[in-house]
Amino acid sequence: MAHEYECFVRNFSDLQEGSTVVLTLRSLSPGRRKYNARVVRARVSRLVEAGSDTLWARCMVGAKDPQPWSVQVIDELGPTVSGQPYSDIFDAMERLAPDARAGD
Amino acid sequence: MPEVPRDVRAFIQKLQETGDVAVVDREVTWDLELGAIGRRVAEADGPAVWFRHIQDYPGHSIFANPIATWRRAAVALGLAPDVPIPTIYETYSSRENNPIPPRTVSDAPCKEIVLTGDDVDINALPAPMVHEGDGGRYIGTWCIVASRALDSDWLNWGTYRFMVHNERTLTGWPLPTSHFGKVLQEQYVPRNIPMPVSIAIGADPASHLAATSTTRIGREEAALAGALAGRPIDVIRCHTNDLSVPATSEIVIEGEVLPDQIAQEGPYGEYPGFRSGEMGRGVLFRVAAITHRRNPIWTMDCTGVKDCSSIVTALGGGIGIRRSLERHGIPVTMVYVPPEGAIHMVVVGIRRGQGGPDVARRTLEALTARRVYMSKIIMVDEDVDVFNMGEVIHALSTKCHPVRGVHVVTYDGRAQTLTPYYNPDERSRRAGATMLFDATWPPGLRAEDTPVPTTFQGTFSEELKQHVLANWKSYGL
Repeated sequence: MAHEYECFVRNFSDLQEGSTVVLTLRSLSPGRRKYNARVVRARVSRLVEAGSDTLWARCMVGAKDPQPWSVQVIDELGPTVSGQPYSDIFDAMERLAPDARAGD
Repeated sequence: MPEVPRDVRAFIQKLQETGDVAVVDREVTWDLELGAIGRRVAEADGPAVWFRHIQDYPGHSIFANPIATWRRAAVALGLAPDVPIPTIYETYSSRENNPIPPRTVSDAPCKEIVLTGDDVDINALPAPMVHEGDGGRYIGTWCIVASRALDSDWLNWGTYRFMVHNERTLTGWPLPTSHFGKVLQEQYVPRNIPMPVSIAIGADPASHLAATSTTRIGREEAALAGALAGRPIDVIRCHTNDLSVPATSEIVIEGEVLPDQIAQEGPYGEYPGFRSGEMGRGVLFRVAAITHRRNPIWTMDCTGVKDCSSIVTALGGGIGIRRSLERHGIPVTMVYVPPEGAIHMVVVGIRRGQGGPDVARRTLEALTARRVYMSKIIMVDEDVDVFNMGEVIHALSTKCHPVRGVHVVTYDGRAQTLTPYYNPDERSRRAGATMLFDATWPPGLRAEDTPVPTTFQGTFSEELKQHVLANWKSYGL
């Protein structure tokens, strides 16, 4: 069953066709657990086929990219990441994807 | 002393009597609909809203925008809703000087339901998705966050935002420069130990007012709450830690902020009326227990323009600014933080003949010495009513020289990063600026050079004014 998610990115350009990235994936499935989040390593693509999970990207002011991505979760990284209070979550997630490159 | 509401239920009842709350019995969804209604009502200077039926959450209700108007602030202090704003200021200011320590009780309605261990599920609580595009469901927008310093018995109550991350975890953003933020960073993180925290929701209005106040480190907000209420506030120990929260709380979420784990927090549509990209640098709160009354009433602030923040900061913050200026020897008469300025602007009245550039610079230095909220200061002579925006705008427009009357200071490390016009670099450095508009006549201005106001009060003799007033009705006016 296909799921729908959203994520926040520092810049929309942080997502590139075919790239593998570490994201905080937020569920958009209806119900009480809507918006619950987890950290994943995933591959994203602009090609959204029937049956694939859909990902919507929002920037840091909450504006939504009108074009969706398809997302394929490669690794579940847990609900949280290592870091001290007030440190940058985007930097922390980037450190978990040392091999993430466009076109991977 | 007037009767100050003892809990949120008494507060709602009083607001029903004064016509300052609307009750919505139709079921609404927590997912944006409730936030949209609350925002629209707030922008229209409408009443508080009690949503009695929340989709997916039978038995829970949400009370939105509790103190988002001066009328509701008056009722929260036990005053009539239509008292003048200066009366609300005077009431708060006079009570503030008589702290009353809290009284610890052993049982309270907030312990009717106790959920620990595997029974803890944040998703069983009706946290609203307030604005489309927010980073999550904000469960803490009108709350009392209790924490304690390691090196003292000082109990801090503050109001900080917290959102749902998953069923057992919240993320939040107490300002790094807040009392909470300082204790966490200076005492717990270096020792790599979790900081016990409890979030109380739906307490009595005096406790909420105290939690939002501007007090110095070491001063207990619980005692300030007692001062505002005119009686000791009943507090109760939490179930899983030794923190104390108002016993009248409807819900208490207990847990700890971790020193070594983070998750995404924000963005959130905040009190300046914008969602300005301050996100991703928060704290992680692991929930250990949830206790609440049966059929609990949640309190929330539909944050944005004309929200609770703008009123309570206008009140407590304005008084705090006045005291600070007095300590710095500024000849201040009155201070007003207009809600329309979204906690970015303050109007400062200065004693007659004592304004001018020296006082302007000293005022600017005094108000930017520590963490800075106000980026616009308008300094006026004492004959300008600081609570009358029309008079303030007139003074600003006609008495502030565009070159000699504008003073600017810049700073690093203490700006309010929620201010919408700061860029990412400024936010990362907490760098900012504050400007002061001097709309006072400079000291030493000769009488023959001082412009005379062509107003009824300023231009005509006392004899003529009395004559006109005595015959006013006879003019048919």
